[in-house]
Amino acid sequence: MELQFTKAEQEFRDEVRTWLSEHAPRERRPRELRAAREFDLSWQHTQYESGWAGIAWPVEYGGRGLSLTQQLIWFEEYARTGLVAIDSRFVGLAHAGPTLIARATPEQQTQHLPPILRGEVVWCQGFSEPEAGSDLASLRTRAIVDGDDLVVTGQKVWTSFAPIADWQELLVRTDTEVPKHKGITWVICDMRSPGIDVRPLRTIEGTAEFAEVFYDEVRIPMANVVGAVNDGWRVAMSTLSFERGTAFTIDQVQLAMTVDRLIDMARQRTGFDGRPLIADEAIAGDLALARAEVSALRAMTYAGVSRNLRRAEPGPEGSMFKLAWSELAQRVDRLAMDILGSGGLRRRHESPDTEWIDRYLSSYSNTIGGGTSEIQRNIIAERVLGLPR
Amino acid sequence: MDLTPTVDQEEIISSTRAFLADRLPVARTRELIEEPSNVDIDAWRGSAEQGWFGLGLAEALGGVGVGLADESLLFREIGRSLASGPFLATTLAVRVAAAAGLDDLAASLLDGTARAGLAEPRSQLGSFGPGSIDGDLDLFDPVGAEVVVLAGVEGAALLSMASLSGARAVECIDPATRLHEARADSAAPLAFVGADVDPVFLRGVTLSAASLAGMAEALRDLSAAHARTRLQFGSPIGTNQAIKHPCADMHIRAEAAWSQTVFAALALDEGRADAEFHALAAKVVASQAARRNAAASIQVHGGMGYTFEHDAHLYMKRAHVLGHVLGDARWAQARLLDLPVEL
Repeated sequence: MELQFTKAEQEFRDEVRTWLSEHAPRERRPRELRAAREFDLSWQHTQYESGWAGIAWPVEYGGRGLSLTQQLIWFEEYARTGLVAIDSRFVGLAHAGPTLIARATPEQQTQHLPPILRGEVVWCQGFSEPEAGSDLASLRTRAIVDGDDLVVTGQKVWTSFAPIADWQELLVRTDTEVPKHKGITWVICDMRSPGIDVRPLRTIEGTAEFAEVFYDEVRIPMANVVGAVNDGWRVAMSTLSFERGTAFTIDQVQLAMTVDRLIDMARQRTGFDGRPLIADEAIAGDLALARAEVSALRAMTYAGVSRNLRRAEPGPEGSMFKLAWSELAQRVDRLAMDILGSGGLRRRHESPDTEWIDRYLSSYSNTIGGGTSEIQRNIIAERVLGLPR
Repeated sequence: MDLTPTVDQEEIISSTRAFLADRLPVARTRELIEEPSNVDIDAWRGSAEQGWFGLGLAEALGGVGVGLADESLLFREIGRSLASGPFLATTLAVRVAAAAGLDDLAASLLDGTARAGLAEPRSQLGSFGPGSIDGDLDLFDPVGAEVVVLAGVEGAALLSMASLSGARAVECIDPATRLHEARADSAAPLAFVGADVDPVFLRGVTLSAASLAGMAEALRDLSAAHARTRLQFGSPIGTNQAIKHPCADMHIRAEAAWSQTVFAALALDEGRADAEFHALAAKVVASQAARRNAAASIQVHGGMGYTFEHDAHLYMKRAHVLGHVLGDARWAQARLLDLPVEL
């Protein structure tokens, strides 16, 4: 066992740190969706120009093909720039792209992968439906084969970035007569197709990057099916192991930075009694514990990456990181509200405190999106501890 | 960076696990509760023969000369097995004796003919240094021990049992731990080693975290096994999410505890500037993991979990003892807020 990185890895870290400090955007990411899209894609294009696009993608698909340890280092350094972990590039780079690499035809790959790396397109995910949340395989959006097309009718929901997306990785039901997992098809959907209606959904934060997507006899060429018709569940599952233990590294590092900022804030601000908030035993205790726990989260990330360095297929640890990070992050964001006091009630866009309120409000999504905490606990209990279904 | 054990370290894990399962399983700890001494002398000598008390001690000083990370692997297994006896105190005392040139004492601690208990201040010490130690102490497993070791951030001291006054036995919450109260009345320590010479206290913090992490793992495994096999309403109770989810939480807490402990041990082995932070973080996280896993385990086991016959309470009680000694959470709090952490 060793903690230190090799000399080559340390040099790589220096290289990444230098490049990011010179190239990462300094201006704040805009709140407005269209402007945010331009911001994200322009940043992606900058990465592409310097050879930093698709850091985990294989070199033969235009990626950087970094080793797992280098990916960890990249994410740690990326986190320090303060750029958000998940922006409108996320589905393309970390979900749809890897799925296409794993399962698409060379023609599909040639058409779709380079634009993702160059920062020309935004992808979204069409998985969840009003009646298919945790039970994703029960999805009902129907697709009927008609000549060279699939004709899709139905509805998706809670689709991040749908209002600004060019493409969608879409799961549709192509067979209703077989067990639910066996009648699903994974298809590339052009978001500008006639019959698609994107209706923004306001989140509890008040933003509108979320949407419902309605499909009314939308024609999608059969050539856009990835894998085989009715094999979509397996295609979707092939993506999940892509990150190999680094998926939450940016979130974890930024959470550590957040805890340290909160400690500073609690030292600088005074409570009702005129004493610094850090003198409050409850606040100091919660902050100290959070600092220890966020450190343990990093140790777990390192331990997970270490295990994955030695095996071909990652284990179900992704559920563990996701659960541990999301619940700790929620606790820290609640703690920020305690420290803000009445400042936490005032949502003024010119105030720096608004950022904490936004964080707090968005933290409610952490334990729902990408598989609820309840589903993650089921996965850990069943696949790691062997409890019966 | 690689936090997985090497082949040699896997060997430490499997050999210690086999030894403990054979000689000092929880069932043996239970038997020792009823005996005057909670130390199984044969097993103690056997542990010494395996080199346990000098695992992390330099070869030049008579030890095996591996790192604190390797030693943590051993203490994780000791925790998992809930082995009875002053393993931690003796391991720390060997370092102090060896560093101070008390070669005979170091040798007899290493070969298992002598043992050390652990001393903890019961209130603020009057003095703590090479010249004199003054204050009320709690002694853990001092029965039959030649010395006790008292460690703090400044350094670590060895006190002879004879130098303490007013020693009396009190019943410990953990029936497998012997607790005595005593007073050091401006006692002259046999040895005092500053933290700059050897960070004995931080090693103790880390090794107690390792044992707590092992206990958190054992509690998770006990609970999962019960959830898989205990039938109620015609099916295993583990089919219910109300059982499944606490078991999943036990797993996460155990993983967090052990990962942070390894991180801390390596940080100290590699001389990182933030080693103290990581040791204290490991202690707090592992202490919480062991206690909360014990509470959840008792609940998952239902009526059985509340009986003396079941092992969950023994882990819970040991967790309180180990969580208290060598840097408890309240003491660690201010330092955790102040100490620097490197990326």
